[in-house]
Amino acid sequence: MALAELCGFDKTFNFNGVPKDMGADIDENFFTGNFVSHTALALPPFPDPAENLQKFSVDESGKQLKIKFDHGTTTLGFQYQGGVVLAVDSRATGGQYIGSQTMKKIVEINDYLLGTLAGGAADCVYWDRVLAKQCRMYELRNRERISVAAASKLMANMVYNYKGMGLSMGMMICGWDKRGPGLYYVDSEGTRTAGKVFSVGSGSVYAFGVLDSGYRWDLTDEEAYDLGRRAIYHATHRDAYSGGIVRVYHMRSTGWIHISNEDCKDIHYKFVEEKENAVAGASV
Amino acid sequence: MSILAYNGGAIIAMKGKNCVAIASDKRFGIQAQTLSCNFDKIFEMGPHLYIALPGLATDTQTVQQKLKFRLNLYELRENRRIHPKAFASMVSNLLYERRFGPFFVEPVIAGLDPKTFEPFVCNLDLIGCPNIPEDFVVGGTCSEQLYGMCEALWKPDLLPDELFETISQALLNAVDRDAMSGWGARVYIIEKDKIVVKELKTRMD
Amino acid sequence: MSSVVDPFNKFSYMESGSQRQHFSPYADNGGSVVAIAGEDYAIIAADTRLSSGFSIYTREQSKLFQLSEKTILGCSGCWCDTLTLTRVLDARMQMYYHEHQKLMETPAVAQMLSTMLYYKRFFPYYVSNILAGLDGEGKGCVYSYDPIGHCEKSYFRAGGSAGALLQPLLDNQIGFHNMEKVTVAPVPVEKALAILKDGFISAAERDIYTGDSILIKIITKDGIKDESFQLRKD
Repeated sequence: MALAELCGFDKTFNFNGVPKDMGADIDENFFTGNFVSHTALALPPFPDPAENLQKFSVDESGKQLKIKFDHGTTTLGFQYQGGVVLAVDSRATGGQYIGSQTMKKIVEINDYLLGTLAGGAADCVYWDRVLAKQCRMYELRNRERISVAAASKLMANMVYNYKGMGLSMGMMICGWDKRGPGLYYVDSEGTRTAGKVFSVGSGSVYAFGVLDSGYRWDLTDEEAYDLGRRAIYHATHRDAYSGGIVRVYHMRSTGWIHISNEDCKDIHYKFVEEKENAVAGASV
Repeated sequence: MSILAYNGGAIIAMKGKNCVAIASDKRFGIQAQTLSCNFDKIFEMGPHLYIALPGLATDTQTVQQKLKFRLNLYELRENRRIHPKAFASMVSNLLYERRFGPFFVEPVIAGLDPKTFEPFVCNLDLIGCPNIPEDFVVGGTCSEQLYGMCEALWKPDLLPDELFETISQALLNAVDRDAMSGWGARVYIIEKDKIVVKELKTRMD
Repeated sequence: MSSVVDPFNKFSYMESGSQRQHFSPYADNGGSVVAIAGEDYAIIAADTRLSSGFSIYTREQSKLFQLSEKTILGCSGCWCDTLTLTRVLDARMQMYYHEHQKLMETPAVAQMLSTMLYYKRFFPYYVSNILAGLDGEGKGCVYSYDPIGHCEKSYFRAGGSAGALLQPLLDNQIGFHNMEKVTVAPVPVEKALAILKDGFISAAERDIYTGDSILIKIITKDGIKDESFQLRKD
């Protein structure tokens, strides 16, 4: 870089239009601009990345490139008398290839806030991290915890700036604040809505089927966990892009607790056994 | 998405010492949605001859029926069992007839010679180009994963129970890295005087 | 008019029949990387073939980048993106060292790499990254990435052009998947090395972008040991 400087090499080709005369350290900031300003990503040297990036997915010889981002998912969350239950699967797929069976799709933002992720894995994880920092900043400035409504609005506003550029995320943000339990759905299109029962992701249709038929406000804790687990399990069984481990979390007035991690294979054969026992019991 | 991956499925056939094995998953789905966990892709074509037809499910069934028809005619005319090699040619012919509007299947054949009981495995592409190797063949949506597993696990002269273990491990671990296949598996071990069919306990997600 | 390839709609004045050749910024230079971590070691290996389409650029290109005494990054995919990424990463490591007077720990490098990859969300680095090293307590760890920086920690991982061939083998042999009645235990370094070499031999049989030889780096608390191993060259 020193040589380029000495020769007066013009570095104005960068994407974010940093002035030429800002000195030698520009080069590093130019490749890592989001270290300083977390919400500022590099702009591509072409318009409309959501559409145009697709055109670069072949190389010069016309060969298809394996540029596939990790995707998910089945996630669900519901409110009931005991708080909020979140349940998720753990599969990440890049195209048809299963990249991971152990992905963490619930992000622990702080002791009173959880986020679930569906859609682009990198998108969700990155913006949850930025949100976590902003929530912490809020706490330090205001000497109180951020409300779920405010946290979800921060997220919705951040990603709204990138609307139409191809971000892909559908997340639930759940927490407990002065107003009690809160559950919001936020997505990359800018939607933000509060609600009692949500399910997001490719397997959500299957999860909803189980969830809606078993849901009541006055579920006990154990019943609620079991409902969440069952709904996710049935989704993993029918949906090719969901699977792995079923993780269950519970948000209470004292903060979140982690309930269980269960392998789908174990759950499946447990349920098969239950079914057989029920049939055997009925025929006696 | 390729039409060959519309329904999903994975197949392996392997040679052993005086035996062959052929294995398949049992998924029938439409893209991401799993409709059945009991869809057979392996068909018996004779006492020691099996064919698996991974690919588009409608063509799996059509090709199987057309082949059975031609095979019956062959056996009536010749009054003897078909040789696996001749059967491979028959499949190749059938597929090449549709050179410009192919059936979307990539057949895998496994069998023993009706006279010498020599093991035989073969696969064909969707327009009927045959490939007859000395070790194993694979087909379906996770062929990369299957190749990786088979290349590492296969050895010459496997005995029937070793062959079962090898083919099962290869199939299970390959389909566990593919979203479009799995949901149960079935293995056929073909020996001179017996054929063993085994169901495997698999992940169901 | 509809036949004109005009990705940015800048050339709407173009007449039909004319063809716009558009530039493809990415190339696939192939290569595979495997990393395995154990109790007190981490191994990372990459093949040394650099290719494009059906031709080979070189048979002896290392795809492993030593970031510190305890951290090594393996890259495969678009070689020019790899070079840019590792150059900036190196600079950032030095800046960290001078600012904090200590080396960056592997988990910190892992997070930094994720953030750097995500910075280019809308024009990604076409690189499959695998980071291996020892964490603060001296335990082995492996981090793998998608092209836009989704990061996951694990104990074994295969990536690159033969990733799909190698990963199920590692699942089986190192993760003990689909094995009944076995005790899942961390594998010793000798066994990990043997599986890794077997895997690469198999991958070189079926993947044309993997071959020639592999470079292996074994990271322990005593330092980094290099090893190489020949593969088929056709």
